[in-house]
Amino acid sequence: MRCDTPVRVIPASRPRVLRGRLLCAALCTLTPITAAWAAPHLPASDAEVLAVLPPGAAHTSAPVRELARARLDVALPLAQFYIGQARATGDLRYLGYAEATLAPWQQRSPPLPAVLVLDATILQSRHAFDAALSQLDRALETQPDDAQAWLTRATVLRVLGRYDEATSSCERLAPAADADITSLCIESMRGLTGHLHAAYATIESLPQQLLSIEARAWRYSELGEMAERLGNDAQAEHWFREGLQLAPSDAYMRTACADLLLREARSADAIRLLSGYESMEPMLLRIVIAQRLQRSADAQQSQALLAGAFAIEQQRGDAVHRREQARFLLDIEQRPQAALEAAQQNWQMQREPDDLLILLRAAQAAHRPDAAGPAVQFIRQHGIEDVRLEPYIGEHP
Amino acid sequence: MRALAAALLLPLLWLMPTAAQAHIASNGFLVMQVQGQSVSGSIELAVRDVELAVGADANHDGRITWGELRAAEPRLRQYLARNLSLAAQGAACAIDFGPMQINQRVDGNYAWLRLHAHCPTDVQRLVLGYSVLRDIDPSHRGLLTLSAGTVTQTAVLGGSDATTILAIDRASRWRTLVEYLQVGIWHIWSGIDHLLFLLSLLLPAVLLRRHGHWEPVERVRPAFISVLKVVTAFTLAHSITLTLAALELVRLPSRLTESVIAASIVIAALNNIFPLVTESRARIAFAFGLLHGFGFASVLTEMGLPSGARLLALVAFNLGIEAGQLAVVLAVMPVIYALRSAQVYRRALLPWGSAAIAGLALVWLLQRALLSSG
Repeated sequence: MRCDTPVRVIPASRPRVLRGRLLCAALCTLTPITAAWAAPHLPASDAEVLAVLPPGAAHTSAPVRELARARLDVALPLAQFYIGQARATGDLRYLGYAEATLAPWQQRSPPLPAVLVLDATILQSRHAFDAALSQLDRALETQPDDAQAWLTRATVLRVLGRYDEATSSCERLAPAADADITSLCIESMRGLTGHLHAAYATIESLPQQLLSIEARAWRYSELGEMAERLGNDAQAEHWFREGLQLAPSDAYMRTACADLLLREARSADAIRLLSGYESMEPMLLRIVIAQRLQRSADAQQSQALLAGAFAIEQQRGDAVHRREQARFLLDIEQRPQAALEAAQQNWQMQREPDDLLILLRAAQAAHRPDAAGPAVQFIRQHGIEDVRLEPYIGEHP
Repeated sequence: MRALAAALLLPLLWLMPTAAQAHIASNGFLVMQVQGQSVSGSIELAVRDVELAVGADANHDGRITWGELRAAEPRLRQYLARNLSLAAQGAACAIDFGPMQINQRVDGNYAWLRLHAHCPTDVQRLVLGYSVLRDIDPSHRGLLTLSAGTVTQTAVLGGSDATTILAIDRASRWRTLVEYLQVGIWHIWSGIDHLLFLLSLLLPAVLLRRHGHWEPVERVRPAFISVLKVVTAFTLAHSITLTLAALELVRLPSRLTESVIAASIVIAALNNIFPLVTESRARIAFAFGLLHGFGFASVLTEMGLPSGARLLALVAFNLGIEAGQLAVVLAVMPVIYALRSAQVYRRALLPWGSAAIAGLALVWLLQRALLSSG
């Protein structure tokens, strides 16, 4: 009946009209979130540092941005730099900078394929997959052998679970791209459609010395995921660690590796792997899970940070981290119903094995076998092999 | 163009599925309250975004100090004035910004400015123009929380919509009244500690203390007067402190009030077993009622009073409490009046009931005084 902790509600989220028991429930759960925010104040000294600027976020970049309005050969590398920064740091602001850089070049007729492909990459990063596909199709209309466009298209279609179309896109890489990249692309799709063992063997046999560093990291990432789906966690960890040596900024691989460690309850290893990446929500999520495994005193603060970030995304209407949010609700806040809702929303957007896993887990925790139906059907339809999913589909007819 | 495609293919960096691993995007936070012709509240921009918009890093060392930010404050004001506009039904409002402060949020420090706008007419449709950072970071959004009366709404400003139009749905005064009346009634019913205190004072109202013994009153009138005094004293007292606390004129730590409220129940209940005060229980009711008022107020401070109808809401809440309290009195009194002559009432119900209440309240007292972190 009483909130036992002092409640400081920030003005922006101050509930004006709340009633009864709900009031306390709401305020008590708000406490950890709002505790992370202090009231407006005046810093004690002029020397106090309030922000450290990452590259490209300084006002002095304005002349470069101005130049990018006039010259495509400045705009493209600049946008590419921003997208790379977004990917390496997880800082979504960079996607906005990239978008602004490309904006003046978007309306050209005929359209500039390179601009469209970069724009599609930005849209994909925001999980606007359909919009990304339509930009890619526009690019390919103008330039049918644009390897980058085909590769990006394959990636987007794969995330959407449209494996046949994705494979077709991979095949279109052939004339322009390296044969090994084409093979990597095709085999990664085969690995999801009933040929996991064969695909794993083929990718493993690709001569990695011939590949670029990025393609080698990609190969490790695929091998790690495949080994994980085959149930060979030790091998998976080996691949992930090799891959991270080559591409330390690959957030996708790092979270995948952390998940593997967490599954083995190696929380200290997971925290070591993720330290320095706390500002990225998917990383922070794994850190909170690890800290809770360790019963660390830091868990509460990290959790509050994460909840605060999710709350802001929710208010913005962003769905970029819906999968992470579902996992947060399921594993940390232990609200299976809410987790299931988030997992279902996420499933409407993306259909990777991790999306299947969170949907199945949430459906089971919420005692809603019916909600797992679409996932189970998807798995059977495509012949997806993944030992992590097996415990959840056994009971389905 | 062919060369360009090959060049792009080299860094395969963003090709992995779900490349979207990210911290939150750029947001400005706006809080506004509409009252008649005025809109008041605050606006916040990340220090990093202030740098991007108007430049603050004077010595180009990649670190923005409070001194540098203060030097940029005039530019920030001009920038905000250019990129934020408010209008009531199409007639522009004049916006003033207060001095800049710093607010810490989950993704870093924000420059925080109070804002006040005066509109030429009462605001019914608020037209917001928001173009902060539009040319530099089109994914920037203004997250607005707008309240008017008891109604709060949120909106996302910016993006492809240069202007956002919000209908100001002021809650009718009637709705406010009903809302707070209900909260008041609910609170006395759920607030078992207030009820037990009142009950402890009411149980002996149908009896008279004579020569060290309880005797039943002979007629309704003395019992009724006794109840009336207790209830009136309790009401008067808690209304005073409730008002003072709800208007934030007086504030007591909740741990203290909660503990003393528990203590008041212990004392009132023990007084029925070992009577010290028999004729003037109304004084106990008044003295402790002052503290119960602070307890009632804690609900209101958590809820907040609607800016446009503070007094109305306060009165409605108080009336709700009185109504709930009266319902309890009306339910209990006939029963104990009927039972007053029975031995079981004087020998068992009164002492043992009071002992049970005292015991329960003692547990609360210990919990609240010793264990509670609040």
